[in-house]
This record gives sequence, structure tokens and C-alpha cells, in this order.
Amino acid sequence: MTPKKAWITLILFLAIAWGSLAAMLAVGWEPKLGLDLQGGFAVTLVAPDGTDENTLNTAADIMRRRIENLGGVQEPEVAVISGAGGEAAIIVQLPGVDDRERALQAVGTTGELSFRAVLGEGVGSPYLVDSSGDHPEGIDPATGLTAEDDVTKRSYLSDQDDGLIYEVDGIVVVMPDGNTVEFPTGRDITDAQAVFQSHGIGGQWVVVPEFTKEGGEKFRQATGYLANFPPGSPQRQLAIVVDGVVFSAPAVANDVLPSEGLDPDAVIITVGTDDTAEDESKALAAILRYGALPTTFERESVYSVSATLGADSLRAGLIAGLVGLLLVAGYMLLYYRSLGIISIVGLTVFGSLLLGSLILLGETQGTTLTLAGVTGIIVSVGITSDSYIVYFERMKEEFRHGRSLPSAIRHGFKGAYRTILTGDTVTFLGAILLFMLAIGQVKGFALTLGLATVIDVIVAYFYTRPAASLMGRGPLGDGGVFSMRGAMGGGDIVEVKEPAEVSS
Amino acid sequence: MNVLTRMYRGETHFDFIAISRKTMVVSLIFVMLSILVMIVKPFNLSIDFTGGVIITVENESGATVESIREELRAVGYGDARVQITGNNIVQVQTEALDANEQDLLTVAVLDATGADPNELNEKAVGPTFGAEVTRKAIQALVVFLIVVALFITWRFEWRMALSALVALFHDLIIAAGIYALIGFVVTPSTIIAVLTILGYSLYDTVVVFDKVNENIDEDDTKTTYNTIVNQSLNQVLMRSINTSLTSLLPVGSLLLVGFLSLGAETLKEFALALFIGIAVGTYSSIFIAAPLLARWKTRQAEWARRELRAAKAAGQLDAQATSRSKKSTSTTKKAPKSAAGAKSAVAKPDKDAGSGTVETPPSDVPPAVARPPKQRRKRR
Repeated sequence: MTPKKAWITLILFLAIAWGSLAAMLAVGWEPKLGLDLQGGFAVTLVAPDGTDENTLNTAADIMRRRIENLGGVQEPEVAVISGAGGEAAIIVQLPGVDDRERALQAVGTTGELSFRAVLGEGVGSPYLVDSSGDHPEGIDPATGLTAEDDVTKRSYLSDQDDGLIYEVDGIVVVMPDGNTVEFPTGRDITDAQAVFQSHGIGGQWVVVPEFTKEGGEKFRQATGYLANFPPGSPQRQLAIVVDGVVFSAPAVANDVLPSEGLDPDAVIITVGTDDTAEDESKALAAILRYGALPTTFERESVYSVSATLGADSLRAGLIAGLVGLLLVAGYMLLYYRSLGIISIVGLTVFGSLLLGSLILLGETQGTTLTLAGVTGIIVSVGITSDSYIVYFERMKEEFRHGRSLPSAIRHGFKGAYRTILTGDTVTFLGAILLFMLAIGQVKGFALTLGLATVIDVIVAYFYTRPAASLMGRGPLGDGGVFSMRGAMGGGDIVEVKEPAEVSS
Repeated sequence: MNVLTRMYRGETHFDFIAISRKTMVVSLIFVMLSILVMIVKPFNLSIDFTGGVIITVENESGATVESIREELRAVGYGDARVQITGNNIVQVQTEALDANEQDLLTVAVLDATGADPNELNEKAVGPTFGAEVTRKAIQALVVFLIVVALFITWRFEWRMALSALVALFHDLIIAAGIYALIGFVVTPSTIIAVLTILGYSLYDTVVVFDKVNENIDEDDTKTTYNTIVNQSLNQVLMRSINTSLTSLLPVGSLLLVGFLSLGAETLKEFALALFIGIAVGTYSSIFIAAPLLARWKTRQAEWARRELRAAKAAGQLDAQATSRSKKSTSTTKKAPKSAAGAKSAVAKPDKDAGSGTVETPPSDVPPAVARPPKQRRKRR
């Protein structure tokens, strides 16, 4: 490598390594921190065995939209995991989220909406026992609630606010004349808005759903059917049921004619007037708008980290990394003298590229840096230091075998690069496999480790080689104790000639 | 020159193969002890594997363990493990709970400690998901081992791959044994550490094998495999030590910060496994993988022939040496045994001569004959 070529390579490479990082920081890009470093909340939702991938993806999509609607979440991550054994789950990660309850509701609620005819209100124990004296199947004797709300059957459902128990009919109701009326469900709704309705001084939060044409017709017929019941009768009520809980059960107004029913465009679901009503109405609107999840999910695991703990972890990781770097730098300088300078500057180059890649991945792929990733970075300090050590030791060896300093620098690199390449390949293979096969934390670690090996190989070629070659020509190369010659134990030439004395 | 200076200059001539006879026995004992420890004192698995709930909050109201337990008993979790650490952090751990039970527990803990719900740290893992993490990790491990073995076989040869794997298992078992002995909680971070240990151990071994192969390529004196391995190990010795040091320094600071800092529980568990693994990994690549390979290769016809020839040469050499120098008499008795060590010196002057810049020993005696007495003197 001619000095000119070496200078060009070196300067160009340093400009790219440092410049790109500086540019990213200048435009305000920063590494995206995982929730264990900035605080946040993650939940794993397991779908029933055998749920197919399409269903999972649809569910993930709905969850994603509901979370976005929630607001205040920086980087929601909704990942579908489906294993070969039929197990399927969705992992939702919400870094920086502070309202745990709402977040849980947004992702965990199935959001199955149905309008149901009320058969009875304030249902007491007589309703819980059928004629044979047994409890109807699926009814909890203590609460009178059905285990799960089945829209095709009669159910005992409680009101979410006052706990009042209703007996509701299925969504298909058989009328006395033998005809059937089908009540609308969430699938008949295309959109929903949370609106504040003001009435003079007060007001209330309501949700305004928008029906499909077909759904609107169902709604008209259903309310027309209910209008047959006398005003004041519980059976004139229309229960709005979300996930097996009666949201509200407004009565059909007295002036509604059975032949006409209610105008679907005029439907409002009243939520309430208090402070929580705003959140609640928005949540309901989101659930109606984005539809129900195609299947029910079981909450399998929850992981929640407070912002304080996250910051503590990040600080601990940074301190450990910094202390480690300083120690390594000190050791390299002590042991390899001026060559140590090459490795220290090299560590900053390596660090810039690694950080730059992580920022870039964060911006483009949404990859987050977790505590495991930070440990990966700290471990990679060892990997990249090793490349310098392999090279420097090699250089020393060549030098001892009688090569001139420039020749030892050149030949040393050739041999060392082969070793570095082989070693990095092994680590890289491991990292790739880990990334593909592992889940959770291990993935983040594998990512930084894999990146580190690639960057290490690049840095060795485009930085270490020209830098060593150039240093060899200057006073830091062929000079005193601190120079490269000094580092190779070649300060006094007599020692190098030692083999000669052997033959005597 | 003392040993350190010679190490610094890369001029050591340790007979690693001979030393390894003893170290292998020591290693075997350690491996067996480790297995014993793991049987007697099984791993302390975290809830990530067993399933369970851990809630960590600040103890705002200054509650005592008893008062918290009282509160938990009211909602049916009286048997939960309650701990209050020195810095007034409350940790409550139970076995796996379903979603509703979890919420019940969370509210109870918040009530008992008066902690801010926004400062809640909670981790709940269902039993199936924990098993899933373990299964995936083992799966990754097995595939990793197969791929690495194939890579080493392709890049070098299958004997090297197998030697590397033996060293690898040695490292894993000892690291696991120490981990079990100390009784740290095994977390997914520990798994990461173990995987890193694999990486380090293999990387180290690959560097040694790379050197061995290179020396075989360059060798034109038909020397023995043991000699080449010894020579290679001496050449990479400082690299191994320095690399371990520069890897251990950051990991050591991780360990230190992990012990001192609150938020870094994960770091501590991770760093400990890593610290042990790197140290053992460096040792095993020198004292397990390489000697094992040498022993194995020497059985091959070609290398066995060379070994025989070297042993004969060493016999002659000893005869010569005895007659020439009384000083070396004491060491000659050992000579047949350390034939490999003696021969390790052969390649060096030869290689020097090849590079052409150092004065070739101006002697009619072949270097192989001339060097050993000098070298032995040095070692003493």
C-alpha cells in the first residue's frame, strides 16, 4: 500500500465512519431504546391452539391500529409468533406507555360487539335455575353470569357499571309470528366516533356508530321489533354488548313505530359524563371502528418496566461500557505502545459504525436497542480488540523473524486478516442463527453481535491496515520505546539477532 | 530473561502437549465436580423458565414484609415470596397466575406499599411461554453447534471440529457448574452469556487451529504434529492472554457495575457467566482442544512416522548433547519424554533462515541438533 493510497483510504473511511454518525446525530436521530431501557410495557397474548397465521396477522393489525388510536406510545411493536407445534401468540411491546390499564384493554379486548334483545332485567336467582332445578349450562351460580357470551344463545350478562344482570336473547330472535329478526353486530359497523354532546351547561360523551347499508336495515328491523313492547317494559331495551358485558341497555323511545324502527343514522351510544367517560368513549369507538379481534387471546405474560428502572439500567450499561473501554484502552496503550493508539482510535471508529448502524436500523426498521443489545456492544469490544491483538502479535512475530518494520506491518496484516476473517465468520454464523431461531432478548443481543463482527472485518481492512502502514513510516513507527519498534521488543537490535548465538 | 519478558517477545517454548497431560486430568476432575454440583444443587431457574409473577415496586409507605404478606393473604396470595431489599425496594414473587389473578395481586401489592402505579415493575410469565423460551434456546444451540462443526470441517478438518466441540463442552459444563454452585438465578440473560461463551471458546480454538494449519503449510522439515501444535500455541499464547484480558476488562466492569448498581440485575447475572466462560474458554483452547487434536493426529500414519523419526533423532541428540556438555546432563534424562518440546525449536531457526534477513546460524550442525540444549537452559 503506497502512502498516498493509504492516506486516501484512511481519510475516506474515517470521514464515512465519523461523518455518518455525526450527520445522524445532527438531524436528531438517536438509537431507539427498548422498553427495558426507557420503561414501558409488553404483553404476550396467546391465541387458541391451531390459530392460523392469517387470523393472527389480522388480529395484530387490529391491535396495532387500536394502539395508535390510544396515542402516547412511541414505537408500538406488535409481533406475531407462530410455532410449528401449532402454538401461536402475539407479542405487543409498548415502550414509554404510562397508562397500563388502557394499553392492556386496547390489545387484550376482543371487541366483539353485538346488539341484543333484553328478555329480563335485574335477573335474580330464579332465572339461574331451570325447570329441572339445575343451573343452565355455563352459568356461574354465584354471579349468575354466563362463562362466555355466546351471541347465538340466551345469556346472562351483567352491566359493566352497576353490575345489574340482564337476560339477553341471541342475535337472531324468533318473533311470535314465527318470523325472525336479526340484530346487528360489530361486523355491521363501518366506523365509529367518540363525540362530546353538549346539552346547555352539561354534556356527555357518546359514541356514534356508522352502519353498513345492510346493518342499518337490521338495526331498523330490530328496533322496530322492540317497539312492539309497551313503554317501560324491560323488553323494550336494546342491550349493547361488548365482549360479554352489557355496555348499556337504552330503551327504544316511546314514539318509535314498530313498522319503522329507529333511524340507524341517529344511533348514539351514551357513555357518560364523568372524567373517565372521555377515555372510555374513545376506547369504545376505536374498538368499533377497527372491529373485533378474529379470535380470543389469553394473556400469557406481562412485562412492565418503570421509566426509573429503565433509566437506571441504561446508566448502568453505559457506565460499565465506558469503564470497560477505558481499561481496554489503557491496557492496549501500555502493552502495544504506539500501536495502542491505532486500536484506541479504531475503537472509536468501530463504535461510531456500530452506533450508526443501530440508529439507522432503528429509523428504518424500528429496531430497538435493549439491555441485551447493550451487553452485546460491551462484548463486541472484546471481539474488536482481539482483531488488533491478533494483528499486532502477528506483526511482532514477523518482525522477530527478521522482517523489516514495513514488511512486518504488511505481511503481518495478510496473515492476521485471514485469522480475523475466520474467527469473525464463526461468531457471525452464531449471531445469525441466534437471530433467526431465538426469541425475545436473545434476538437483540444477536443483532448487535452480528453487526459487530461485520463492522470488525470492515474496520480491519479499511482502517487498521492503512493506519498501521502509515504509522510505520512516521516517528511512532520506527522510534523509541513508545514506537512500534519498541512495542515489538525490538528496541535493541542485539536481542533480535539472538538465534545467531544458538549455533555457537 | 524471565518468563514474562519472553512471553512479551513471543519467545516462549512451553511444551503445552506435555503440560496438557496433567491439565487434562485436572479438567476432567473439574468437569466431574461441575456435573456433581449441578446434580446436587440444581439451577435456580428464573420465572422466565418456570412461569410466575414478579412485581417490584418502591416501598413508599414503609411497609414491612409482614404487613405486605397480610395484605396479600387477604386476596389469597399469602404464600407469595416477599422481599424488601436494602434500598427499600419490595419484590413479590408468586407462581404463574392468570390475567385476573395477576391484576388482583398487582393491586394488592400497590395498596400494601403505597407505590405509584406508574412506577410499577412487573413481570409475569405463563408456564407454556417459559418452556417455549427454553425450547427455542436449546434448538438454537443445537443448530449452532452443527453449523459451526460443519464450518470448521469445511475450513479445516473434522478432527479439528470435534476437538473444538470437546473443548466447548468442557467450558460449558464448568461454567454451568460454577453458576450452579454460586446459585445465581438463571435468566434468559444467562442463556445469552452461555451462547457468547460458545462464541469465545470457538473463536479462540479457531485462532489456534488456523495457526496450526498455517505452520503445517509452511513447514518443510517434516516435523511432528506435536511440535507444530506446540509451536503454534507458543505463537498465539500472548494473543490468547491479551484477548482474554481485553474481553474480561469490559465484562469485569459489567460485573462490578452489576453488583453496585440497582438497575443492573440482568448485567450481573450475564457478566458472571461470561467472565467464567471467557477465562475457561481461553484455557481450554490451549490445554484441551489443541493437545487433543495433536494426540489424535499423531495416530495418523504420516504423522506417526514423523513422530517415530523425531523420537529417534531426539535419542541421537541426547547422546550428542551429553557428550558435548556436562551442564545439560541433568536435563537429558527427560529428553525422550520431551522430544516434542525439543523439536519445537526446529521450525524457528528454519523459518528465520527462510525469511532471509536474519543471519542464518553459521554452523554446519543442523539447527535441530544445536538448539535444544540452549532452549532447556532457558527454561530452567
